[in-house]
Amino acid sequence: MTNSSSSKKHGQDQPELSGPTPKSQRTKMGKSEDNEKKNLGKKLKDVEISVPIVYGNIAFWLGKKASEYQSHKWTVYVRGATNEDLGTIVKRAVFQLHSSFNNPTRVVESPPFELSEAGWGEFEVAITLYFHSDVCDKPLNLYHHLKLYPEDENSSMSTKKPVVVEFYDEIVFPDPSEAFLARMQSNPAVNLPRLPAGHTLPPPIPVEDASKRRKGDTKDHSLSQWFTNFSEADELLQLAAARQQVQAHIAKLRRQINLIDGQHQQLKSSSDQ
Amino acid sequence: MDAKDILGLPKNSFPPLEKKSRPPKESQRKPDGISREVYALTGGLPPLMPAIEASQLKKRPPSHEKITWQWLPFTSSARKDNLQLYHWVRVVNGVPPTGDYSFAKYNKSVDVIKYTDEEYDKYLTDPMWSKEETDQLFDLCERFDLRFVVIADRFPSSRTVEELKDRYYSVSRAILIARAPSSGDVAAHPLVKEPYNVSQEMERKRALSMVLSQTRQQERRDEEVLIEAKRIAELRIPPKVVEVSQLAASNAGAEVTERSAPGETVSPSNVQPPPTGIPSTLIDNASTLATLRMLRVYLRTYALEQMVQAANASAGLRTIKRVEQTLQDLGVNLKPRVPTKAVCAEHLELRKEILTWLNLQKQVQYKEAEGSSFRDGSYGETPLTPKDRTFIPDSMNFGVERVSKKDQKRKAPGAPSSSAHKRPRKLKASDL
Repeated sequence: MTNSSSSKKHGQDQPELSGPTPKSQRTKMGKSEDNEKKNLGKKLKDVEISVPIVYGNIAFWLGKKASEYQSHKWTVYVRGATNEDLGTIVKRAVFQLHSSFNNPTRVVESPPFELSEAGWGEFEVAITLYFHSDVCDKPLNLYHHLKLYPEDENSSMSTKKPVVVEFYDEIVFPDPSEAFLARMQSNPAVNLPRLPAGHTLPPPIPVEDASKRRKGDTKDHSLSQWFTNFSEADELLQLAAARQQVQAHIAKLRRQINLIDGQHQQLKSSSDQ
Repeated sequence: MDAKDILGLPKNSFPPLEKKSRPPKESQRKPDGISREVYALTGGLPPLMPAIEASQLKKRPPSHEKITWQWLPFTSSARKDNLQLYHWVRVVNGVPPTGDYSFAKYNKSVDVIKYTDEEYDKYLTDPMWSKEETDQLFDLCERFDLRFVVIADRFPSSRTVEELKDRYYSVSRAILIARAPSSGDVAAHPLVKEPYNVSQEMERKRALSMVLSQTRQQERRDEEVLIEAKRIAELRIPPKVVEVSQLAASNAGAEVTERSAPGETVSPSNVQPPPTGIPSTLIDNASTLATLRMLRVYLRTYALEQMVQAANASAGLRTIKRVEQTLQDLGVNLKPRVPTKAVCAEHLELRKEILTWLNLQKQVQYKEAEGSSFRDGSYGETPLTPKDRTFIPDSMNFGVERVSKKDQKRKAPGAPSSSAHKRPRKLKASDL
């Protein structure tokens, strides 16, 4: 946050703050910033911010000429589900590789959070995501089983078509801090909650250099053509169809039960006579 | 040939060990009665069961004891009349056994309290009882060892067993207390500690005689009511599977039904369909959500897993498996591919509905089984066609048993492929 922008902001919001001398303004401003900090640390109950992510790996077979132990080139990654930049949320990603790799703990300090290696074996990669301080002070662990060989035994290995295994998931931050929520206001990478009525957020912090931000996303990623498309609509449609079917069965059984009950009553009354 | 031969090992590879185990073996001599060859087969192993040596069993009594059985007269301290009786008795070395007759100790008699005339006047007067009657009672008590049924039979005036007992015990108690130096001395005496309760005893006998004098018809009717009550109680169980924690409201409802069950008016139609499990599910989700919130950050799939687990908590393993099989049959991913909040919520709802469905199936099966017992063969024709009746269990059997997992996995979602599926599919299509 640059000094000029923040002073400008205050000038707009609190015109009474623009004191006569620059000195007094600075001292007052310092105070209000403190207040703001306290406010921003406040937790918002019963709302959640979720960040749709996709994690997985893409593996290219290097062909028959490749060495036995470096038969595949693979990239394991965590990306935004719509290839938005995760850098505003994730500070650092740590990939824990198989112990046979040199320096098996690989730290990626900036987006895109991905790691490329060459190898021959599949193993479970543990990915630990560390978040920015206003987001969450706890890390999150993801586990991905690295896949190099195609699942379907029928499809032969090809150097052109990689093996892609990706999983959609959402990182959920329950009760986020106001600061985090404010910072995410115009961030396409996150799902924002509907705020409780009457709740106002501090004004969004202006996004820094747009060109700088773009660096973190994976929209123009070299592997983006292999990325899987995850359609929520398809999934919802499938579930809705299934629910309809089950509900129909339930209704039918209820009718059947009523029918049987009616018969029982008839039988009862006729046997009582 | 043995294992050592096969392995090409020397026969005596452990000579020191064998040497050590030999000496105790020597001391253990071959028991008599077993041939050497048979004993060798046991390899000198100790027998599985501890056995008394045969020689012990056949041991003869010491030769200096000369035992004879003789027909001898005896006296019994239990008899006062000095009657001379005879019996066979074991005589060792010509010395007949001395002492009392061995069965005399069983001649027990009741210590009936005796009271003096003064004591009677002081403590025992009772408007219902004269002194003569009381004396008679105590005489009979002593004579018949407190067998009150017999006493009541012999008693000159007509008194019930309870009246006799009450008089006897109250007199005994009063005398005991009067004679004791302090009340604490007799407080532990059974007569004082547990006084005879006439009214309770009469009520007990009345109830007993009522049960025993029931006609077979009454008995049958009672049985029917009990069966009905049991069925209603069981009907209340399936809702519990759906509802993770039984709500107080539905609990109360079950109680009301059960209480009214012995009545004549209960009919199956009185049983309401189980209340929907929405509130309890909400409660349960709330506790799961609270736990998740503590994590401060979690994955949506993890949250879904927790909620599914919470929802399954009260269902049996078989029910859970059936739910998952049904999900697969419906062409739904067991774990959503795109687990957004909306998808997870729908997924949970679907699972809940499937649970309801399965429970209803159970209910229908139960009711039909019961219906056939109702009919007793006299009502052969019912509006239900056999096909309709077998549809539910059949479709479930197809779903659970006949379709292998592999088939399910390979199959594209929702596409009926295996022949085993055709019948239920067709039926389903016609049902919808």
